[in-house]
Amino acid sequence: MSSLQNLIDNWSQYRKGIEQGGFHHYEHRWGMAIDLNACIGCNACSTACYAENNLAVVGPERFAQGHFMHWLRVERYWDQPDKEFPEQGASFLPMMCQQCGAAPCEPVCPVVATYHTPDGLNAQVYNRCIGSRYCNNNCPYRVRYFNFWSYYETSWPEPLNMQLNPDLTVRDKGVMEKCTFCVQRIRTAKDKAKMENRKVKDGEFTTACAQACPTNAIHFGDLMDPESQVTKLWATHQVSRVDEQGRPRHEQDKKNPDLRGYRVLEELNTDPSVMYLERVRETLA
Amino acid sequence: MKDLLRRWLLTFLCVGGFLIGTSAAASEAPTIKYPVPPPGDYNGDVVEQPIEFPHDIHTKVNKINCLYCHTYGRRSKVAGIPPTSKCMGCHRVIATDKPRIQKLTEYWEKRQSIPWKKVHDVPDFVHFTHERHLKKFIFDNEDLVQNLSVDTVAPVCAACHGDLREMTVARKVKPMTMGWCVACHEANGGPGDCWKCHK
Amino acid sequence: MSGNELNRRGFLKLMGWSAAGAGLAGCDLPSTVTLEQGKETVLSYLSPEEYVIPGIGVWYASTCMQCAAFCGIHGRVREGHALKLEGNPDSPLNRGKLCQMGQAGIQGHYNPDRITQPLLRKDGKLTPIGWDEAWSLIGQKISNAPGERFAWVTGTVSGHQAVLLAAHTEAMGSKNHFAVEVIGPHVGRAVNQDMLGEAMPRLVLDKAKLILSLGADFLGTWVSPTHFATEYAKFRSGSRGMLVQVEPKMTLTGGNADMWVPIRPGTEGVLALAIANVLMKGGAKVPEAAIAAVSAYEPAKAAEVTGVSAERIEKIAALLKEHSPSLVLAGAPVEGHAHGYQAAAAVQLLNIMLGNVGQTIVSAGGFPFPQLAAKSGSTRDLIAFADAAKNQKLDVAFFYGANPVYSAPHFLALPEALQKIPFKVAFAQFPDETAEAADLVIPLASYLEDWGTHVAAYQPEEAGITVQQPLMERMYNDTIGFGDALLKLLKLGKSEQYAAWEDYYAYLRNAVATLPAEYKAGAANDNAFWDQTLQKGVLKVAAAAQELKPQVPEIKLPDVQPNEGYPLYLVPSTQLGLWDGRHANLPWLQEAPDQISKVVWDSWAEIHPATAAKLGIKEDDIIEIASEQGSIKVKAYLFKGVHQDVVAVPMGQGHEAYGRYAKNRGVNVLKILDPVIDAKTRELALYGTRVKLANTGKNEPLVIEGRGNNSQRGRKLVVTISADQFRKTEGA
Repeated sequence: MSSLQNLIDNWSQYRKGIEQGGFHHYEHRWGMAIDLNACIGCNACSTACYAENNLAVVGPERFAQGHFMHWLRVERYWDQPDKEFPEQGASFLPMMCQQCGAAPCEPVCPVVATYHTPDGLNAQVYNRCIGSRYCNNNCPYRVRYFNFWSYYETSWPEPLNMQLNPDLTVRDKGVMEKCTFCVQRIRTAKDKAKMENRKVKDGEFTTACAQACPTNAIHFGDLMDPESQVTKLWATHQVSRVDEQGRPRHEQDKKNPDLRGYRVLEELNTDPSVMYLERVRETLA
Repeated sequence: MKDLLRRWLLTFLCVGGFLIGTSAAASEAPTIKYPVPPPGDYNGDVVEQPIEFPHDIHTKVNKINCLYCHTYGRRSKVAGIPPTSKCMGCHRVIATDKPRIQKLTEYWEKRQSIPWKKVHDVPDFVHFTHERHLKKFIFDNEDLVQNLSVDTVAPVCAACHGDLREMTVARKVKPMTMGWCVACHEANGGPGDCWKCHK
Repeated sequence: MSGNELNRRGFLKLMGWSAAGAGLAGCDLPSTVTLEQGKETVLSYLSPEEYVIPGIGVWYASTCMQCAAFCGIHGRVREGHALKLEGNPDSPLNRGKLCQMGQAGIQGHYNPDRITQPLLRKDGKLTPIGWDEAWSLIGQKISNAPGERFAWVTGTVSGHQAVLLAAHTEAMGSKNHFAVEVIGPHVGRAVNQDMLGEAMPRLVLDKAKLILSLGADFLGTWVSPTHFATEYAKFRSGSRGMLVQVEPKMTLTGGNADMWVPIRPGTEGVLALAIANVLMKGGAKVPEAAIAAVSAYEPAKAAEVTGVSAERIEKIAALLKEHSPSLVLAGAPVEGHAHGYQAAAAVQLLNIMLGNVGQTIVSAGGFPFPQLAAKSGSTRDLIAFADAAKNQKLDVAFFYGANPVYSAPHFLALPEALQKIPFKVAFAQFPDETAEAADLVIPLASYLEDWGTHVAAYQPEEAGITVQQPLMERMYNDTIGFGDALLKLLKLGKSEQYAAWEDYYAYLRNAVATLPAEYKAGAANDNAFWDQTLQKGVLKVAAAAQELKPQVPEIKLPDVQPNEGYPLYLVPSTQLGLWDGRHANLPWLQEAPDQISKVVWDSWAEIHPATAAKLGIKEDDIIEIASEQGSIKVKAYLFKGVHQDVVAVPMGQGHEAYGRYAKNRGVNVLKILDPVIDAKTRELALYGTRVKLANTGKNEPLVIEGRGNNSQRGRKLVVTISADQFRKTEGA
């Protein structure tokens, strides 16, 4: 009993919205910076994610019904609807779970299957999930994916199943899943660091998407580590989660509005852990 | 002659293999603080193995340290079954007349892996790492490290696997349920975060 | 990683697992989650290397063979299984990065539709046979040296496989090696050779202040896409170079352009000459041979031909003048016409006029081991092979790494021609269309199970030979590595000098050991050098750079002929995914949305909304695209990123065989290509086909990721700023 009590007590700390000051005692706060000036929309990140995270291939029929399982998708927009031709190309946006600090998905879970970890991740505990899909309905980024089917029956005909990554599970029907920032890699790195009585070093591991990205558009690291590349990028672009008083910070608070950092839909006060850097185009007549 | 060779070999293995001093000398159990064992028992099946491996002869009689064979546990999440080469290291000369050893030798000579049956298992969605547990309960325990031997190590392993010094083939004697894991984590200060163990 | 070579190979052998067996801590599928004791088997190692620890991945360096760029890879191996591929940071080609085709390579290795044993056609059906029978049959057929009546038909080959392949062809008394590749700068190589003295000079993207790309999809499907993407990142940082893309259908590279310009297919050469015309008037020097051609195309005239306005042409010329050095590239749409060579030459002329040669286009140097250099595939060889077969010039043909039956357009009548070759052997991993047409199928190991060396045709700085080593034991005992197969063939042909090599591994080791001493600096001995080479995965080879000596041929472009019956141009577009169709059997790539259209699992036809409105076509309508050579029925996708005179259908689908994921899905656009061939290089003119459209009146929805989400609808999802603002805050 006490363990459950413990879980619920601690859990409520993490649930505090950022307007309540949020949670300040992170061990790590894994974050990303994604440079849309570098991103070419090639989809290497997404396929790398399939390979790393045992994502099911669902086939065209189920894909059409929206039952796809790509934790990381590259959204593509056309921003010049009035022109005869898309003269400035496409707008690409790699979109995965933003690991919100004040995640809308967390408080609605009736069974605490999705919760906030001391690493600042929105965790999904598969064996706890009962498939209410409330979290999915509450996610403004649409990055949660529900197993409507037992994909393991069809997605990995032998011997394709031999590729499955043993460091994480294959999810069954009725379970919600989503990007974990490659928590299995985080776990391995943390275990290794602990075995060597040291802290996790910046750059000693990265997520599958960041590792694959041909243009290095995706940067991953610990926002609690002042020396990490990701922290420096956030600072360079004057993006931070909270101000000195612990109040939520928004893009309009930036001292230099010309800097490129922003967080998608941050006006919803979700406190995302992913910073994007604005896409750049020449202004040519 | 054969007996002498055996003794020499064992000593050599224990010293060279695991830096544990002479195993025979450490028969007196010193006062070592062990973790609070989680309550609960389980009456597991006797699993038939391809070779009826006698844990008791190796540990209780010959005093070979658990970690001499299951050495991966120190460095990996998996403790692992020792490679056949390790068995053959001793059994090229020891007890070669025994049927079990002859069976082992047959596998070795045919270059076949031994198809051991899994006795202890956790569900697919659980991340359990031997490495971290062994570090905490063995290698970070100064008193224990000073007196490393099968009799000091076995009680640590016994928390989850039962006392293998009293078994031939391994048998599941602990429940290995989540409640049981959590009880131990609470009693011994283990982490309480879901994602520490769930994957 | 351990240093000992014997152990490295021993590792695979002594592991003692049939790869199909369970691992020590393998991944359970949920259905097999059983906590009952004694139900699962745990196999132990026999005698593993010290660095092999259950539960911990070991990384091995090898080479990606998903396209002819030959990037370096690292494969993660745990409990004897290859699990994940990453880029090899030591490879100067891809610098630790790996595209989605490379990522999906592992699904070829574990593909459920692999061929696992030799197959012989008996009563019209491919039937399993034993190895002895297979080899004796081959020995019998080639025993009376078929000479010129023998041919190899392969994809791009390089390294020591190419050496053995050449040796075998010679031993057969033949010169027939047809290397077939649909996607590649086939014409461009010839143009470079003639105009610069080097087929594959090095491109220095990050030094260019502006890249004008005429259809060169260097981020997607052109030459060495992952390498160019890493270079592109540098090009776009700091002072940020500008990218102008002119093409009939928006490629992935076009999707990233600052200025994307649609152009009527086949008129790219005219555009290049018109730009040259403007530059000439601005004082740029035009080489003697080109003056007539350049003078002929005033912007106003070119505007009529190309559909690109005169102002646009002037603007592009002005930008080029302003941003020096620049880099002008010609891609498949330029090359793919009867006048492809001339058009590509007109584009290269711009580089010469702009002084880019020596700046952003430099010599890659002569590769010191010409016998290892890539024999790049082409469509010329596809046509030549089809002709040879049709004219009954061949008795025996061996196939490897190419699928000509799928790639060949109807007009080549290849299936019929193949029936005139009495004995066809496919060295194949999958039952693709060519294997299905063979008399004998030799099952090959996957590239993740095989040894080899590779030399990419495009060599960046510090490149060299990439080494391929098995990541794990063979999945199927009855498969054979390609190098081993070649050795076996050479031995069958009684080539005495190969008798000494027990297997391809031994051959390769010796070949590496006998490299000149300067390559082995830092290694104590040959064994250490071999270990070092395997660990790095790359063998750096210093190429002697030379100076490029520009030469300009006479350029003459034909007038565009209207075609009343077939008013539209067919663009068989390419995609970093299914490629030329070779990856259609990989489920990850089938389910990976096309980068531009976001369509999955299907073929589609891109039509400009204006054109579609004229023809009464709506999205998802099934339309019939007919050329003189045949027709295909495909779903319409309305898209503004195509020229209005164009219908674009991607290559890759429409397989009649090739396993469960590829078979009977979509259409094969290559089939209806017109018999248009580049006059100079004899390459197939991929973009030279004229078509007409008809609405079948039926429709069926395409499966599109984020269907209907083409607009941000005012949300701040992707924010765009000006390059000037970028340079102000981040400019170097």
